[in-house]
Amino acid sequence: MKRGSTIGRLPSVAMAFACAAGLLLAACSGQPDADDKTLRIAFGSDNTTFVSLDPFQVWWIEHRIVLRNVAESLTDQDPTTGEIIPWLARSWEVEPDGLAYTFALRDDVTFSNGTPFDAAAVKTAFDANKALAARNPSVFGATYLAGYERSEVIDDHTIRIVLSQPNAGFLQATSTTNLSILAPESYALSPEERSRGRIIGTGPFILESYTPEVGLRLVRRVGYAWPSGAVRNPGEALIERVEVSYIPEETVRNGKFLQGAVDIAWPRAPFPDADLRLFKARGIAIHSRSLPGPALNLFPNTRKGKILADRTVRQALQKAIDRTSYAATVYDADFPVVESVLDTTTPYFKTQKAKLAYDPEGAARLLDAAGWKPGKDGYRYRDGKRLTLVRNLLTETAGDVLVQDQFRKVGIDVQLRMLVAGEYAAASAAGNYDLVATYMTRGDPVILQAILDPRYSRGSALATNAYEPGTLARAQALFDTGLVTTDPAVRARAYGDLQDLLIDEGVAFPIYERIWQAAVSDKVRGFTWTAEGFAAFNDIEVRR
Amino acid sequence: MTRYVAFRIAQAVLVLWGAYTITYFILYLLPGDPLSLILTAAGVEVDSLSLEELARARAHYGLDRGIFEQYLALLGDFLRGDFGHSLTRNAPVSELIAERLPSTLSLAGLAVLLSVVGGIGFAYLAALVRWRPLKVVLNRLPSIGFSVPVFWMGLLFIQIFAFGLGWFPATGNDGFESLVLPAVTLAIPSAAVYAQVLIRSFGDVWREPHIVTAFAKGLTTAQVQARHVFRNAALPVLTLVGLQIGNTVSGAVLVETVFARAGVGRLAQEAVLRQDIPVVLAIVALSAGAFVVVNLIVDLLYPALDPRIARARSIA
Repeated sequence: MKRGSTIGRLPSVAMAFACAAGLLLAACSGQPDADDKTLRIAFGSDNTTFVSLDPFQVWWIEHRIVLRNVAESLTDQDPTTGEIIPWLARSWEVEPDGLAYTFALRDDVTFSNGTPFDAAAVKTAFDANKALAARNPSVFGATYLAGYERSEVIDDHTIRIVLSQPNAGFLQATSTTNLSILAPESYALSPEERSRGRIIGTGPFILESYTPEVGLRLVRRVGYAWPSGAVRNPGEALIERVEVSYIPEETVRNGKFLQGAVDIAWPRAPFPDADLRLFKARGIAIHSRSLPGPALNLFPNTRKGKILADRTVRQALQKAIDRTSYAATVYDADFPVVESVLDTTTPYFKTQKAKLAYDPEGAARLLDAAGWKPGKDGYRYRDGKRLTLVRNLLTETAGDVLVQDQFRKVGIDVQLRMLVAGEYAAASAAGNYDLVATYMTRGDPVILQAILDPRYSRGSALATNAYEPGTLARAQALFDTGLVTTDPAVRARAYGDLQDLLIDEGVAFPIYERIWQAAVSDKVRGFTWTAEGFAAFNDIEVRR
Repeated sequence: MTRYVAFRIAQAVLVLWGAYTITYFILYLLPGDPLSLILTAAGVEVDSLSLEELARARAHYGLDRGIFEQYLALLGDFLRGDFGHSLTRNAPVSELIAERLPSTLSLAGLAVLLSVVGGIGFAYLAALVRWRPLKVVLNRLPSIGFSVPVFWMGLLFIQIFAFGLGWFPATGNDGFESLVLPAVTLAIPSAAVYAQVLIRSFGDVWREPHIVTAFAKGLTTAQVQARHVFRNAALPVLTLVGLQIGNTVSGAVLVETVFARAGVGRLAQEAVLRQDIPVVLAIVALSAGAFVVVNLIVDLLYPALDPRIARARSIA
């Protein structure tokens, strides 16, 4: 009897154990509930340098994608033509001197807190941004707002915006996330509170929560009905929620995407060839777009005493870079080869293809002429000093090493100096480098001034160091022409000349076209790019 | 006993102070400019300011004082329980840590538990197996366990259990499911160390004469293993548990990155890269505190497990 009961108990214990294991598995095997109403996006790392979701302050492009769907702007930019089209403003008129813009606003728009969108709200937004830019001139949105003086409320739905100086980029600026209009309630809060995600817009989605470095959630705005002409869906978004997560580890991010736990994998850098082939083999669509604004350029330090103060050496550098093999080896055979200081999607882009051709013999001749003679170790020397250039980096990529090797082939020794964020900022400001790279994204060449014009740039050391003094004056004259005239033909000539100048004088060394790519699952339809390389989630549909 | 505990607590305070001080001076000696970091975090670029504005900003953040003066001010605040303000994140340090700590505590707690249970369980298994080839394999396995890098193990687990079998989510902070893979990953190196040491100790203790006596008294193998072998062999493992707490903290940095968990480990990594001195100091003090407390507990457990230690101490 006793023995029998032991045996009798055993199976039940085993059963209980199996059930527990089964329950655990059942609970665990269900991947995060995937339905037709949720879009899941995985980006790389979050911005840890400056934690902010305030549209005016944000430069982080992953945040601007999200903001594009939460906060809206007076105008939009057509992604194919680059033309400025109506959005929250039905129409506008520019006064002949280019110093005043009158916008006729839509009268059927409300913010997600219920308050109406009207001329007073637009005035509040512009004035609050102006006040912030006055307190902190290097705030990112400041260049977008350049010249803004005041707003005049003509009637409830008409506003006249007055500039104190001409700003040809202003109309395009009104189409960006940076000058999107938040509810007056948001501007009553401090910029820090807005940065932490307390923002109210008119967009097709509402920002529900933001946890830095973890992710954020958007929910659909019920009753939305005022998209711009760049969006096909006239009404509420087709999906109810958007879940964004930040996954720094590339293999994990791609794995989750291939597994179906994420619908869009959207890293900052383009996918390497191997990943692309894997995605293509599985029938996954890769959406690519070159980001408007500068390409990825190296900028020299031409300060007195630096090797790159010599224009001939800079010209040799320009010829020593093999951009075609960069695009093909670092990325893939279809990857576009950079053709100018600007990316091709930037208005007034002018190709410099001929001047950017790979010419190692030409580079060698120039270096010989500059007095840098080949030494026994393959590097060039002058007066016993090796031709060594220091390039500061935060992270090193295969492309950085490739460029280093291309320079080595003509006898230039490039030292890749890895710095942590703290050292990097200080070294750049102090001019302790020979070459440095930076970029920003905006659908107007005015953005170049934020990098290369010391009067407007956020890092004025880089801007000042990039030019020899005479060149700077010429560049600034062209910047000014491009900025003050609204005549497209004049702007085209000014920015064309500027691109010629920057390449001829070796102010910028283009390396690659800044393509960014989103891998989009076949369950997702309706993914399209906005003009600045973001996406409108209200056109996206998910079918599982 | 009271005197002993008091002595140990005094020692712990000294260790904490040492860790805090050394960390402060290392961070201070690093090249780089905390002011430019603070300004960048506030959305201001350092070279957009004039020299005069820079001097004002420096004074505003207290960076114009000398290295020792700043140290004493920080230490004073710290002793009053004020961990200061993060230089780069626009938030008080205590708030940042409070936000991240639960995630890391549950990860580390589960990892420590799994490593102890796993390590001891594995050693038992190795002891019980009689078939020679398998025994050899089991005895060698732990050395692989702690020589494989944590991040690689993590990626492997994600590949198998998240992407292959789909049992657990690959990343995230939500719930117990998302804790399993990272905790197992973090537990493996420690578990391997415990298993390795325990297997050795088992071998040594089995050869001791009192085991023969125990068998002579008529005890079964299982009873001998539990009462006479394990109790004697467990002491070195107990010491190791205390020491491995440090490894768990450093392992958390890697594991949290691979599994995209927002915890104290990643906060520490970011803070070190950005020379966010108050945040790093608070995390160092926190981990040193955890280390000291666990080792104190371990010390106090020795006499309970081994009466010889208590007796030796009372004689002394």
